[in-house]
Amino acid sequence: MSSADVRLILELRGVTSGYGEKTVVRNLSLTLPAGGSLAVLGPNGAGKTTFLKTCSGLLKATSGQVLIDGQDVTRKSTHDRVKAGLCHIPDPRGIFPSLTVKENLILQAPRGGASAAIEKAAAAFPRLGQRLTQTAGTMSGGEQQMLAVARSYIQNPKVVLLDEVSMGLAPNLVDEIFTFLATLKDTGVALIVVEQFVHRALALSDSVVVIARGTIRLSGRSDEFGEDEIFDAYAGTAPQGASAHV
Amino acid sequence: MDVWLPFIVVGITAGAVYGLAGVGLVLTYRTSGVFNFAHGALATAGAYLFFELWVKNDVPWFLAAVISVLIVGVLFGFVLERVARRLAKAAPSVIVVATVGLLLIIQGITSKRYGAETITIDSFLPTETFEVSVNVGYNQLIIVLVGIVIAVGLGLLLSRTRIGIAMRGVVDDSDLMELTGLDGAAVRRLAWMIGGSVAVISGILLAPIVGLDPIRLTYLVVQAFGAAAIGRFRSLPWTFVGGLIIGVVAAIGQKLESEHTSLAGLPSSVPFFALFGVLLLVGKRGLPTAAPVRRQQPEHFAPLPLPIRAGAGIALGVVVIFLPNLVDARLAVYTSACGLAIMFLSLSLLVKMSAQVSLCHAAFVAVGAVAFSRLSTEANLPWFLALLGAGLITVPLGLIVALPAVRLAGIYLALATFAFGLLMENLIYRKSFMFPQGGTRDAPRPDIPGVGLANDKQYFYVAVAILAAVIVLVLILQRSRLGRLLRALADSPLALSTYGTGTTTTLMLLFAISAFFAGIAGGVIAVGNGAAGPGGLGSLQSLLWVAVIAITGMNLVRSSILAALALVVLPSYLADLDADYQAIGFGVLAILASLITASGFDPVTWIKDNLAGSSRVGTKGPIPQRGADAGWRRASSSRKAPAPAREEAPELAMSGGDR
Amino acid sequence: MTARTTARAESAGLHIENLVVRFGGVTAVNHLTMHAPIGSVTGLIGPNGAGKTTTFNACSGANSPSEGKITFDGHDLSGAPASARAKFGIGRTFQRIELYDSLTVAENVALGREARLAGVSPITQLIPRRGERAAIAKATEEAMAQCGITEVAKARAGRLSTGQRRLVELARALAGDFRLLLLDEPSSGLDATESDAFTTLLKSVVAELGIGILIVEHDMTVISGLCDYAYVLDFGQLLFEGLPNDVLTSDLVRKAYLGTEDLGIHAPDDEIVEANA
Repeated sequence: MSSADVRLILELRGVTSGYGEKTVVRNLSLTLPAGGSLAVLGPNGAGKTTFLKTCSGLLKATSGQVLIDGQDVTRKSTHDRVKAGLCHIPDPRGIFPSLTVKENLILQAPRGGASAAIEKAAAAFPRLGQRLTQTAGTMSGGEQQMLAVARSYIQNPKVVLLDEVSMGLAPNLVDEIFTFLATLKDTGVALIVVEQFVHRALALSDSVVVIARGTIRLSGRSDEFGEDEIFDAYAGTAPQGASAHV
Repeated sequence: MDVWLPFIVVGITAGAVYGLAGVGLVLTYRTSGVFNFAHGALATAGAYLFFELWVKNDVPWFLAAVISVLIVGVLFGFVLERVARRLAKAAPSVIVVATVGLLLIIQGITSKRYGAETITIDSFLPTETFEVSVNVGYNQLIIVLVGIVIAVGLGLLLSRTRIGIAMRGVVDDSDLMELTGLDGAAVRRLAWMIGGSVAVISGILLAPIVGLDPIRLTYLVVQAFGAAAIGRFRSLPWTFVGGLIIGVVAAIGQKLESEHTSLAGLPSSVPFFALFGVLLLVGKRGLPTAAPVRRQQPEHFAPLPLPIRAGAGIALGVVVIFLPNLVDARLAVYTSACGLAIMFLSLSLLVKMSAQVSLCHAAFVAVGAVAFSRLSTEANLPWFLALLGAGLITVPLGLIVALPAVRLAGIYLALATFAFGLLMENLIYRKSFMFPQGGTRDAPRPDIPGVGLANDKQYFYVAVAILAAVIVLVLILQRSRLGRLLRALADSPLALSTYGTGTTTTLMLLFAISAFFAGIAGGVIAVGNGAAGPGGLGSLQSLLWVAVIAITGMNLVRSSILAALALVVLPSYLADLDADYQAIGFGVLAILASLITASGFDPVTWIKDNLAGSSRVGTKGPIPQRGADAGWRRASSSRKAPAPAREEAPELAMSGGDR
Repeated sequence: MTARTTARAESAGLHIENLVVRFGGVTAVNHLTMHAPIGSVTGLIGPNGAGKTTTFNACSGANSPSEGKITFDGHDLSGAPASARAKFGIGRTFQRIELYDSLTVAENVALGREARLAGVSPITQLIPRRGERAAIAKATEEAMAQCGITEVAKARAGRLSTGQRRLVELARALAGDFRLLLLDEPSSGLDATESDAFTTLLKSVVAELGIGILIVEHDMTVISGLCDYAYVLDFGQLLFEGLPNDVLTSDLVRKAYLGTEDLGIHAPDDEIVEANA
């Protein structure tokens, strides 16, 4: 994947960002080819969520560049990045809790595509189809997450950023969501998976980076590292900067 | 039953308008987080424009209404969204000041152009009646129908259309709205335009009923507040129903009022009961949560060198001593400025020192004035004792207002205190123990031993002396333990209570002290005016005061004196400047001041960083900037050994990261 | 139970017994028993959503237990307001730093003691008792020296960097003369170097002052370098307790952090799903 003619769907060049005066992500560079998938691991507070927010524009990079599909979007607003093909499922739940399931799906849908979107969502997650009129905030955590993840299908994105979609869910629900994501990946959508369940994240991804305190501690192919190496990178006992290009 | 029906018809008609106004208010509040105190002023502006077009320029009424809605509703909505965007994360007092600024501008312009008197305008709707066991006017029917149609239409818009759903969703999560590919700002802009338009429609509908009057129409916002409170600042249908309830209850109250004089003022107090009651009963947990707040940093000017300060003090003293000879006939203006300065000091304790909001300070002053008058004329207390008593009698009022301050925060506290002020004005002021029939009470001057009653000049010196005493007390308070607790409370109530301070007590003490000084101010002002009267102590006056104090800086004493001078002395020198221009000026300044505050721009820091490079003010040592971490930690952390010299620090410095 | 844990149970400090905290239908903390003694550092760790912060808030009074008991030196803390906990001798810091930004560093630190002396009575809030001023000044000076912030004493707290603000918050807690400090992710927002230095400082504080610390932390390096004993939570339940090295080498902990789900513990989500189905 090192050849220059690979189409990069997402690229970060030396991105630094944070909240106000507090820098969280420091000088981070990585690339994601079209249809590729990347697992982003690391202890809490490492800057994974900040990294995703900087990609989607909810946070503006204080320095560096963000490119989506070759287009520099560093100064673009979030809704413009969404139009450029980016889809970000945030954590906690990316839904509007006070709206019904149907209303959530209407908002997720492209203009005029509401009924098609509802059909697609019901096909992917039958459980949602049965609950269209329910207020989203009153559903169980797993169902809320399904609703949030449905957006990655409805919006027809080129790249999907997933922030801890398995958080707090029972294993059978996590299974259901990850099966869906694997199918999505097979259709050629690129994924960035921020995940606490390392095995699941590795199984879904081609490559992996471990972030700690805002910088990349470890990176390479997903099948390259064992559990121990990744845990060491978490706990800070790994050799710094052991890396290959992603 | 037949006796009641006509009142109920009137109530439903008015209630439909209140409900509409409330719906517009809630729509904008829920989508932007900015509570618009100028919502009624928008209605005023729209109604006057309608009057201008229809009555003065013979534009057909329907066309006039459409033009008014488009110009005032849509245009203002567009502008307001841009302002609101900058205010969304500002402190509630900043939001109050900005929207009150707009209110002052609209009120100033309309009363300048059309005068302060009520203009009666004919109903543009047919006034013939039909009978359903009671006479109902077609205009009444149409107003109610318009109200219902708009409320239902908005309901459908919000439940059925994508953009309407987005308006409801943007409240949950503005970031997520962006992630779904919708422009959050565009969604909010539309909400402001709709909210503004609905306000204008309610103003136009109300104008033939109550007449055109800059004050009275602005008060429509109060009915809207009440309706919004019944809808818990959340639900549009319940807000509309709330408007109807307020309209009907007020109309029934009107009938009762005409039969029982003891109920005077009750009907106009209904919305305030609703507002105050709902706020207190529901508490902050049951209301939509406010956005996190960024607080304005107070100035930290280094004191000037002692000789300069002493010189300035002496010069000021000399000026004050000779002032009566310099200003001749204007002396009375300076005397009342002294009283106002005391009031501003009392207000600053709340607004500036402790980051609380009080929009009922005029009520404190009014109670102080009456208490002073009755203590000196009826109880025959010596003058100074009566003044002290006026302060003490106002203290319980302060404690009552402290209750919402304990239970509520932010904009809801502002609303609760505003409602309290209105309640006082409408229900209590006209009681026989306050100002019977809106009349005044005597406020005698002090007896100077050996001279007799003080003349103008002597009373001026008395007022200055009292002001000086209050300043000294405020300075002592600022440096005392309670002062530190209050400043800490303003920054982080959470930290303060975690470290062991009972913040309820602190708030109670604060409001008690503030009310005490406001009561004293009431006495001093009343004596200056020669009588204690309700004039100039309405609830809108409290709003003006908060707006004025916001634009004169952060230093308690200096800003209070400046505010008093700007409010009464300055206009007396500008012969052309009438009250309307003054209001417009304050309004513009208030909006600018709040935008600057909300932007996080700190002029003092800016001056320090950019202009005063060599002469660092505020701190003796260098001010460590964020990001420049080198040298902040020392080698040893033993309690016994004093810290090593600064030069050693860099060796053990922690780097600030990859900055 | 090793001899060490038995000894710990007998000493004074913060005892949590059978703590259950529920929000609506969700059980955030389920029958947790733990102990934070005076004179040592106790760690509370676990992956995101494990219930650490909920436990911490139950100790500091930000939420109330549904079942179980929290005592400190024999005082029952259930239902006690935040200010009462401070009176018993428990201080805390915040994950999102809560300083008095418009006050100077020295004033911030001084308020660590003064807020406690002011208490809840209007009289003590208005008038300091004899000798209190001197005590506050002394405590302030010592705490600032200990944390190495004496030289920024006159700067406004709001203008400092995150690293310095963490130190000011710690100094304020030290000036308060508490017997136990609850520290909520004190290394968050610090880079690796700052975090190491902060850990070193905490160790010296415990050694010199003999106070106890209960620390909630994500960062394993901080836990292993600092704690005398650690509790690991996952899905609201106690997964493991022991010495930091045992924690690091425990298969259970490793699996919890790396997200192997089959731990015989079920997410609270299960119940809701069944109820809804």
